[in-house]
Amino acid sequence: MRHVYFDSNATTRVAPEVLEEMMPYFDRSYGNPSSFHSFGSACMEAVEKARKQVADLIGAAPEEVFFTSGGTESDNTALKGAARMDPSRNGLVVSAVEHPAVLETARYLERRGHPVFYAGVDSEGSLNVREVSSAVDEGTALVSLMAANNETGVLFPVDELAKIAHGMGALYHTDAVQAVGKIEIDVRKQDIDLLSISAHKLHGPMGAGALFVRRGIDLPPLMHGGHQEEGLRAGTLNVPGIVGLGKAAELAGEELREGSAERLRNLRNRIEEGIISTCPETLILASETERLPNTLTAVFGGIESEAILTLLDMKGISASSGSACSTGTTDPSHVLTAMGCDANMGNSAIRISFDRYTTEEEVDYLLEQLPPIVEKLRDVSPYA
Amino acid sequence: MWKYSEKLIEHFKNPRNVGTLEDPDGHGEVGSPVCGDAMVLDIRVDDEQRISDIKFKTFGCAGAIASASALTEMAKGRTLQEALSIKASEIANYLGGMPKEKFHCSVLGNEALADAVKDYRQRRARLANELETLLSNPPEDLARLLGEEVEVLSVHPSRVRLGGTADHTDTLAERLSKLLSDSVDRDVEVSLE
Repeated sequence: MRHVYFDSNATTRVAPEVLEEMMPYFDRSYGNPSSFHSFGSACMEAVEKARKQVADLIGAAPEEVFFTSGGTESDNTALKGAARMDPSRNGLVVSAVEHPAVLETARYLERRGHPVFYAGVDSEGSLNVREVSSAVDEGTALVSLMAANNETGVLFPVDELAKIAHGMGALYHTDAVQAVGKIEIDVRKQDIDLLSISAHKLHGPMGAGALFVRRGIDLPPLMHGGHQEEGLRAGTLNVPGIVGLGKAAELAGEELREGSAERLRNLRNRIEEGIISTCPETLILASETERLPNTLTAVFGGIESEAILTLLDMKGISASSGSACSTGTTDPSHVLTAMGCDANMGNSAIRISFDRYTTEEEVDYLLEQLPPIVEKLRDVSPYA
Repeated sequence: MWKYSEKLIEHFKNPRNVGTLEDPDGHGEVGSPVCGDAMVLDIRVDDEQRISDIKFKTFGCAGAIASASALTEMAKGRTLQEALSIKASEIANYLGGMPKEKFHCSVLGNEALADAVKDYRQRRARLANELETLLSNPPEDLARLLGEEVEVLSVHPSRVRLGGTADHTDTLAERLSKLLSDSVDRDVEVSLE
């Protein structure tokens, strides 16, 4: 059976160029970059090359890029570190639609006595900036607001949020895991202090990521141990993963310059128009809001998302939903709930996300398979 | 993806007894859009209290749809009592097993069926009640038609069977049917033996 992948916000295929670049570091140049001998230290050159590649993608200096195990670790390092730098300034401002890596870390810190404010979004997924503005005060250590939402693709106004944070002397962190490589990010121009990156969201390998830390910020480490990464992140460097992240960042930069966003946006528009014209009672979430070019969430009224995913899966199509039926009650995602979707709507939402390898022909296949699935499930539904 | 059995997948892709019944003898509803899964289920019941027809509609995942389908297939032809005793674990077995996280899905069908049976019993009790009132205190024209002794043989939400010595049985049945239909807001068939 053919397989068509429409879940690129979950993870992406490792680009062949990336894989090729990584391979020697498993079995030929396998030294530890921290070793004294040249066999090991040669690997440090590969790591430094990757650091430059990542820095270039986001407009940073290489020494501001610290390698981690991925987005979750980068977020944890940023939040826990920034919240504990100054006891007189220990508050956090986040949004209700952050990835769990930020949201759960904020809740953990809240239980530890850190004041946390959770800013809301409107029904189109847009951040309530005024709420953020009034929540940030002299006690705020860090404002952490994502660059792009993983479920809806909605973009937050990073530049404006950085200004709000800095206006009160707070640091600004952005979880840019979904945004990096898909839209232009420039930490200098946008005045970002801390930024999280994950390799596997941009055709790099799983298990590698980075945290950008603006020069001059003395962030305490999450991991204690060896002296790697200037003491910010102890642990033997994941050389193949880091090399893969570097190459993936370089490719993403090239793609962006060649207009990848425009191509993805055209695909998205085709999918959205196709769904709307063939599936009645369907709506696209946040369609009026500025979004990532590769992400859309469609709500198929009256039918349950997991049933749709199961039938799509049988046709070889991988997509995802904002909820899972597994615990006795099906709760819609925190993102859709924050947007004011009731459970019925939230449980009928399907996320379709794609990437540079997605073809027009694959979009045709999706648009051909989806309508009969929706119709079939509507026949069984008491609400349709 | 969940590890579903072939039989469960088959029921999910081709669910049996999907739909609604016109003028059902019992109608059940469980769940609601605000709590995830939901199901409606209609039954038709014969005079021996057997489920002669059953239809359902479900808002839910593959497990919920397949177990509703299985339940209707298992319940059809059984007496109400037998159908009510079908356990969630029997539905899971019938489908060749079910992931344990999905067990709650099969409970939904049982609840819908129990609700439909409850509705059937309420409709039946209401009709029996109306009938008793009519027979014990009949309007004048009906009193003339009724014989000395009228015995209630059986009551079903949409039909009653009477025995006795009445004359003009056709006229009486028609008149009783009209009065009962009006009071329970549903066509009621009356037969006299």
